[in-house]
Amino acid sequence: MFENRKLEILTLAGLFAFVVLFIIVSSQTGHAFSGSDDVGSEKIAELTGKPVESFTPLIPQYVPPSGEIEATLFALQATFGGVVVGLVIGYWYGQKRRPINS
Amino acid sequence: MHIMEGFLPWQWCLVWWLIAIPFLVVGVIELRSIMRQDREYLPLLGVCGAFIFILSALKLPSVTGSCSHPTGTGLSVMCFKPYITAVIGFIVLLFQALLLAHGGLSTLGANMVSMAIGGPLVGYGVYKLLKNTSVNIYVTVFCVAAVADIVTYVITSFELALAYPAATGGVLASFTAFFAIFAITQVPLSIIEGLVLALVFKYIIQLKPELIEKLGVFSKKQIESALRTTTGVPEEKV
Repeated sequence: MFENRKLEILTLAGLFAFVVLFIIVSSQTGHAFSGSDDVGSEKIAELTGKPVESFTPLIPQYVPPSGEIEATLFALQATFGGVVVGLVIGYWYGQKRRPINS
Repeated sequence: MHIMEGFLPWQWCLVWWLIAIPFLVVGVIELRSIMRQDREYLPLLGVCGAFIFILSALKLPSVTGSCSHPTGTGLSVMCFKPYITAVIGFIVLLFQALLLAHGGLSTLGANMVSMAIGGPLVGYGVYKLLKNTSVNIYVTVFCVAAVADIVTYVITSFELALAYPAATGGVLASFTAFFAIFAITQVPLSIIEGLVLALVFKYIIQLKPELIEKLGVFSKKQIESALRTTTGVPEEKV
């Protein structure tokens, strides 16, 4: 049984280590865990000596008005991916099973 | 790894767009021809694309105290090569630029060069190197996915360093600074991404080994020996 699930166990162990690492880092330090995109933008501001606010879009763009709406859109993006993965895996599984049942 | 809208001078936006566009054009042509060859490729293409959608939506915390997202391009670049991967990456980045204000239309070219083109290309190089060796195919998938992920952020650092060389130390100094922000954050994430995609690949070859074989991703012998080590009863099912 465990022989056949090596990869699953390894992946779970990796995820577990990742979570533990996060708990350690977040409990020992006061990091805000903001996005690296924003940290990068701050670095640009620092290098150029111009405040972050002075960088205005070259092409006007829609900005989600709140974190909630942004979270919804990200969830939709992941959901779309999840639906496709589930659909295809199910389709393949069904293809494989059909000859056995009929 | 997104370069935010407005944070790249227009000259650089143009340069990266000009590099990105040929990949996009060839990718669309390849996509059409592969769909005409066999409709059975469509579900696999869906899975590969879906993982880019899922993984790039997940902002994960990292050791540096900031969050970043994996890219998920490794699977697609192995199965469908870099050009088609560029098209899928473009779709994801366009969605995020239009609706989420993560990256923008002017910086889309630069973001494509890092996430949809550069990272996957280097990952593809790793795949080519490991493909015909005795390296276990799950290890290959792990390496390709992890490398494609981390290189994406190395390229982002490079793009920003070129546009914003430091007053002292120039491009190299600011590359080091951006590298510390983007690429170091990405190390644990790329390991996780490699593991997850290797696992996904196991399920793909369990269900559809013939597709992977037909695309020439791995040989029948390699797939069978990999299945033997990770599943109980592959032979009589295939």
